[in-house]
Amino acid sequence: MNLKKLLKVTGLVCLALMLTSIPLLGAGCDSGNKVKVGFSICYTGVAAEKGRPMGNAKLDCMKYINEELGGVAGYEIEVIWRDNEYNAAKAATIINELMDAGSLLFTTNSSAMMTASATTANREAFPGFAVFSTPSLTNPPQHIYAQMPDYGDDWAAFANYYLDNIWQGEGKPKMALHLLNNSTGAGARAAAELLAEDMGIELLPIEEHDATTISEIASLTRIKALEPDVLYISSTPQPTSIIIKDAVDLGIYPGVTIGLGHAGITSQLIELAGADVVEGVYGVYPTVNWDDDVPAMEKMKEYCLEYHPEDYGNMDYITSWAEALIVVEILRLAIENVGVDNLTPQAVEEYGFKMLDNFDVGGLHGPVSYTEGDNRLSKSVRVFQITSGEISPITGWIEAPQIPYVFD
Amino acid sequence: MDLPSGVRNFSYAKDMAIFRTKAHWALLLLLLVLIFTSPLYLGNHWLSVANLIGITIIAATGLNILTGYCGQLSIGHAGFIAVGAYTSAVLTNRFEMPFLVGLISAGLLAGFVGMIFGIPSVRVKGFYLAISTIAAQIIIIWVINHWTSVTGGFNGIPVPPAEIAGITFISQGSQFYLIIGITILVIFFAKNLARTKVGRAFVAVRDNDLAAEVMGINLFRYKLLAFFIGCFLAGIAGSLLAHWIGFLSAENFRITDSILYIGILIIGGLGTTIGPIFGVIFIRLLEKGISFIAPTLESTFDLPAGFTTGIGPMVFGLVIILFLILQPRGLAHRWQLFKASYRLWPFSY
Repeated sequence: MNLKKLLKVTGLVCLALMLTSIPLLGAGCDSGNKVKVGFSICYTGVAAEKGRPMGNAKLDCMKYINEELGGVAGYEIEVIWRDNEYNAAKAATIINELMDAGSLLFTTNSSAMMTASATTANREAFPGFAVFSTPSLTNPPQHIYAQMPDYGDDWAAFANYYLDNIWQGEGKPKMALHLLNNSTGAGARAAAELLAEDMGIELLPIEEHDATTISEIASLTRIKALEPDVLYISSTPQPTSIIIKDAVDLGIYPGVTIGLGHAGITSQLIELAGADVVEGVYGVYPTVNWDDDVPAMEKMKEYCLEYHPEDYGNMDYITSWAEALIVVEILRLAIENVGVDNLTPQAVEEYGFKMLDNFDVGGLHGPVSYTEGDNRLSKSVRVFQITSGEISPITGWIEAPQIPYVFD
Repeated sequence: MDLPSGVRNFSYAKDMAIFRTKAHWALLLLLLVLIFTSPLYLGNHWLSVANLIGITIIAATGLNILTGYCGQLSIGHAGFIAVGAYTSAVLTNRFEMPFLVGLISAGLLAGFVGMIFGIPSVRVKGFYLAISTIAAQIIIIWVINHWTSVTGGFNGIPVPPAEIAGITFISQGSQFYLIIGITILVIFFAKNLARTKVGRAFVAVRDNDLAAEVMGINLFRYKLLAFFIGCFLAGIAGSLLAHWIGFLSAENFRITDSILYIGILIIGGLGTTIGPIFGVIFIRLLEKGISFIAPTLESTFDLPAGFTTGIGPMVFGLVIILFLILQPRGLAHRWQLFKASYRLWPFSY
């Protein structure tokens, strides 16, 4: 048998095995006594650096809930997860798959993937929430929620902190913004353009970058020429690391204060840029730190170390562990209020999402509540600073008031 | 044009017909019945996959006319799709124009933009032309991101559902009829285009542009025409994509998508009408298969979360390598071989 024929036969055998194994794999999966939830995760693609630890965390937490706590109200939670590859068209098919499969709610990690899913979800009144959110998702509020304050809230929190605690000069501080060219950057831009003048901050021309950028020397040279007092970056860890390293090379940093939105300040950033490069950088994040003494920390650490030790220290793991706890609480409330037999996505929204009232996610982030007209579930953030390779909180919880955005 | 053994035609018209035997017509009818009744037995999920397949077939057919028939390599196809998508979105959202106006304008504007970026094709070809189309992709996306007052910039723009004569295409089933209807028209158009004087001129330009010019083919005209038609179809696909997803962001149109379209043509078979169809169906179903099998394997074998997510990139890499080794002329060629052997069976030699 020649190589070509051998490859053909092997290929056909593999295909046949795959096709025959799918029904067998699915066999034995009894849907009775289960409630279904859907997760659209960017496990691969350009946002995998964040999607992977977040996906790991929520699936680990669901394992913990099902195996140690017996599910929710005695019902096992069946998780249907799909890798959206950070691809909008794929996310649009996944949201239909999750609805068809009988999911009661869904979540996404990223604001961009929620944006791709939101139109379908809103049309069908299928409730879901994004862990990382941008203001346009919840303004005006429909069936999509935000787990935590959005990128605009980050900017507002950092700007307030900067004015109150760091700015020592006369007049208005000059703030440069370096924003990721998607909803992560757009959220910060929307808040900055709306609030900066009233807060007494002079905004310099905004620079943008791509998620796959490999150099920002040109944009930072333009920024340097404008002599900013503070540089705010709303981006993911990889491009953020490039920007800060280039800022160091150009002599902008240290000197200029650097602040980050919550998508950028994770242990990944320190690994990518190096602890000495990012020393002293500030960032806003809506969760506690890894070593904080809060009730949910011990179990989360245990699962993380057992199943995904590579994610230990990554703050994205915390956010998504908390995400899974919120999912469970929403289901618990809905089951308690309408009974498992009457569960529909609409009932889950009405009697789960909208019944959330000061739910404590084991102390991992601020309390979770639904407020009429404000689809952000948690509304508080903290300011952190990177010191000696560690991300340490330097403030307590700061309330993030709702910003009056107007979107089309 | 091959026919089953023992069948021959007695007129030129019959000889040129696409469907020439009763079996052809019966199979066509069966296929159409199967397609148009599928919303009755497919759920929203599979209908959404079918919708995505339809939209991708339209775009890939456009690229096939440009690259497969006329030989003009374009790695900016996602950019031209974006032009169509945003044209339709802006016209129907900001100016509240009817969907059909948005759809046709999307095709025309994308075709016009394609012609502008196709002008270098008169002087350059191959890799150099590829670079100029990459520039198209980058410039188009930059304009979309920064023309905030019109496109919504990084915040994106919501797109209303398509509406024709009072019928609103909101559900996956209704959108399926719209998308598949247009897809069938596009395939019919592409099939016939290849058999016309224009199609033959495209092939002549592709095979040897100097010889084509000596034969009297106006290279400038036909190359730009290929860009116009290819990008017109990209614009139509973009418009349908916009109204299907319901929200547009420039992130939906990446250069990796442009490369994926080239991959689809390689897998399906360049320069054939059926090639893009095979390529798109193969790639989209492979994606679905992988996205299903990865979580299933994890839950069945109790693997750590995320353990199987590497399967997707590995399988895609493997598939492309296997196609380059085993089937460089794509699935369309395999289909031709299958049809030939079927016709000769049991007397193959």
